[in-house]
Amino acid sequence: MDWAGWALFGLMATTALTAVMIAAQLAGLTRLDLPLLLGTVATEDPDKARVAGFFIHLAVGQGFALGYAAAFALLDRATWWIGALFGFLHASVALAVLVPLLAGVHPRMASHRAGPASTAALEPPGLFALSYGVQTPLVAVAAHVVYGMLLGLLLTAG
Amino acid sequence: MTAAPPIEDYGLLGDTRTAALVSSDGAIDWLCAPRFDADPIFGRVVGGPAAGTFRIAPARPATMLTRRYRQHTATVETTWRVGERRLSLTDAMVAEVAGRLLPATLLVRRLVADGGPVHVDVDFDPRLGEHHHPPRTRGRGRDLVCTWGSLAVSLACAPDIDLDVGRPTVVTVAPGRPLTFVLAVAHREPLVHVDPAAAGDLVSEDEVRWNAWSAGIDEDLPYREAVVRSLVTLRLLTYSPSGAPVAAPTTSLPEHPGGVRNWDYRYAWPRDASIGIGAFLGVGKLAEARGFLAWLLHASRLYRPRLPVLLTLDGRHSPPERGLPDWPGYAHSTPVRVGNGAADQHQLDGYGWVLDGAWTLEQAGHRLYSETWRTMRGFADHVARRWHEPDAGIWEIRDDAAHHVHSKVMGWLALDRALRIADTHRLPARQRRRWETARDALAADVKERGFDAARGSYTRSYDSTDLDAALLVLPLLGIEDPHSPRVRGTIDAIAAELGAGGPLLYRYPPGRDGLPGTEGAFLPCSFWLVEALARTGRATEATRRFEALLDHAGPLGLYAEEIDATTGAHLGNYPQALTHAALVQAALALRRTESCRRPTCLLAATCGGPQ
Repeated sequence: MDWAGWALFGLMATTALTAVMIAAQLAGLTRLDLPLLLGTVATEDPDKARVAGFFIHLAVGQGFALGYAAAFALLDRATWWIGALFGFLHASVALAVLVPLLAGVHPRMASHRAGPASTAALEPPGLFALSYGVQTPLVAVAAHVVYGMLLGLLLTAG
Repeated sequence: MTAAPPIEDYGLLGDTRTAALVSSDGAIDWLCAPRFDADPIFGRVVGGPAAGTFRIAPARPATMLTRRYRQHTATVETTWRVGERRLSLTDAMVAEVAGRLLPATLLVRRLVADGGPVHVDVDFDPRLGEHHHPPRTRGRGRDLVCTWGSLAVSLACAPDIDLDVGRPTVVTVAPGRPLTFVLAVAHREPLVHVDPAAAGDLVSEDEVRWNAWSAGIDEDLPYREAVVRSLVTLRLLTYSPSGAPVAAPTTSLPEHPGGVRNWDYRYAWPRDASIGIGAFLGVGKLAEARGFLAWLLHASRLYRPRLPVLLTLDGRHSPPERGLPDWPGYAHSTPVRVGNGAADQHQLDGYGWVLDGAWTLEQAGHRLYSETWRTMRGFADHVARRWHEPDAGIWEIRDDAAHHVHSKVMGWLALDRALRIADTHRLPARQRRRWETARDALAADVKERGFDAARGSYTRSYDSTDLDAALLVLPLLGIEDPHSPRVRGTIDAIAAELGAGGPLLYRYPPGRDGLPGTEGAFLPCSFWLVEALARTGRATEATRRFEALLDHAGPLGLYAEEIDATTGAHLGNYPQALTHAALVQAALALRRTESCRRPTCLLAATCGGPQ
C-alpha cells in the first residue's frame, strides 16, 4: 500500500474532480454543486457552505482514494485505465445510490415527499441526479473517471 | 361526451406535489401523478371519457345543497339532498407525508349518509398517458391495484365493496356507516397501503396544519377570507420538493371555448415566483417568500445570466410543445397541448419582476447572500446589454417580437432595483455607472417612444396606438410619479378602453394577437387595476372594483385566468396562480390605503410606490 502516494495523490485527484465539476457548472452543463450540497449540511449561507463543502469533499475524496489504493494493492497493479474503470463504477454508485440517499439525511434538502411544512431549500437530486440537469450523469461520470485515471497514473508512478 | 361542468365548478384538491380537480358532481376529472406535470390518471376534463375519471355521486336525481372548503383547509365538502335524505362527500389529499410510512400521493374520499340509506354511483376508471392506457389490475386483499409499469395506484374502501375498473357500480351508504375510499399512488417505489379507517385521522391532521398555516397570515387584511383562500391555493400550487410555483395544475382549459387558445400551464414561471415573493411577504409569510427566491436561484442556474421564461418543476427546459391528436379538449377546444412553446422566448419583463422580488426581500430585512447578489448582478448586466432589443412581451404572443412598453419599463425596474440593492452590497463603480447609464437611457427612450401624447397614455409598444393592461404596474415602479398625469392618463385610458364590463378588463384589445377567436377578460389585469387605483389615491373606486371582482369568484373562491365578460364563465387554466397572487396584491394595496391615512405608516415605498 502506497500510503504517501495515497495522502498526496488522493488530494490531487479530488481537487481535479472538483475542478471538472465546477467547470461543468460554469459551462452550464449541470446544477450539481457537490461542495454546496455537502456544505449546506453545516450552514445555510451558500458562500460559506461552499468553503465548508469543499473541505468536506476533500476529506470524502481522500476516503475514497483509500479504497482505490487498496484495490490497486489487491490487484497488484495500478494503471490509468483500471483507475478510469473504478471511476466509472464509483460515479455509477454515487449517482444511483449515494446522491439520492442524501435527501433522507440532509437537513436542508427536500425529498420528493416534501409537503407544506418543509423548509428545506435544496431540491432533491433524484435518480442519477437528473433533477440537476440532464447532462449531470455525464458530467459526474467524466469527473470520476478523471479522478480514477489520475489515481491510477500517479499511484503507478508512486 | 356529456357537457363538461363549467370550469369554475371544479374544486382544487392538492398536496403541494400534485393536484386534482373535483366537480360538484363528485367527479375527479383531473389528477396527474405523481406530480403536477406528469401524465393524468384522471384526465376527463380535457381528454373526454376515455381519459379516465373517479366519480362518486348519488345514483338518483339529487340536488346539491352546499359545497365549500372547510375553513382555511384544502378539504372540499359537498352535500346533496336525495329525496328526504342527505349525502355528504368529503374530498382531501394528504399533504404532509414526510417522515411517515405513507404514499407520496394519497387521496381520501368519504361519504356520509343522513336520514336513511343513499344509493351511490361509484365509477373508478383510471387511464394513463396520451393513449389512455387502461391499467393492469389485480386485487390485493380488499385493495384494487392498478399498474402501468413503474406507476401503481391502489384503491381501498371500507366497508369493503366489490369494484371493477371502468365498470360503474352502485353501492349503498347507510347512516352511521360512512364509506371511505383511499387512493394511493406509487411511482418507482412500492405501494404503501393505507387503512381507510386511519385515513380520516390523516386528513384531520392535515386540516389542523392548514389551519395553523392560515393563522400565520396577517390578521388585519381586508377581505381576509378571500385572501386566505388565494394564499392556500398559491401554496397548493407550489411544488414542495423544489419550491417551484406552478402557474396552474391543468393544461389546455380553453381561453376561448371551442378555439385553439389552449396552453399547458403545468410549469413554473420565474415571474410568478417573484410576484409570489411580494404576495407572501406582504401577509407575513417570510418562509414562502424566501422559498421562491431560493427556487429562482437554483432553477435558473444553467441559463444564467439569461432568465428562462419558464421551467419545469425541477428546473429543466420545458418539453417541446405538441398537440395530443386524439384528445377532444374541454368543450371541443383543440388542440390539447403538452409542453409550452413560450419557453424559448426573450422576455425582458421577467428580469424586472425578479430583481424587484429580491429588492422586496432585502427591504423586509432579509439580506441577500453574496451568491444571490452575484446572480442579480448578472441579470442586471443582461438587461443593460439587451434592453434595446425587441422582445416577446409578458403575453407571450408567438412570432410578435416588438418593443413592448411594459417590457421596457420592467427592464428599467430591473436596473433600478439592482442599483437600490447595490447601496448595501458590493458593486464595482464601473458596473454601477453602466447600469445607471442604461437605466437613464431606457427611461428616456420609453418616455419618448412609448407614450402617446395625443391620448395621454403609454401604449402597448413603440409605434402602436394599442393599450396594454400590463402597464397598470406603472404606479408601482417609480419610473414615473404615480400621481403624474401620464400615469393617471394611462390608468384611465386602460380602464375605459380595455374595460370588459364591470370590474373586468381585457389585457389588450381583443383580437390583436394573431390567433383565431377571441378571449375573455383577463383577471390578473383586473386585479392590477384595483392595485393601480389604490396606489394612486382612488381607494373608493379600487374597493368597489375589488368587491365586484370577488363576486366573480367561482363557488369555492377560486379563479381561472380569464372570465367571459358576458356569461361570467371562467376561462383558461384553473385555478390560476397569477390571478390569486394579483388578488392578494390588490388586497394588500387596499390595506395600505387604509394604513397610509394613519400616522403610523413607516414605509413610504409601500404606500405610494418607491420614491
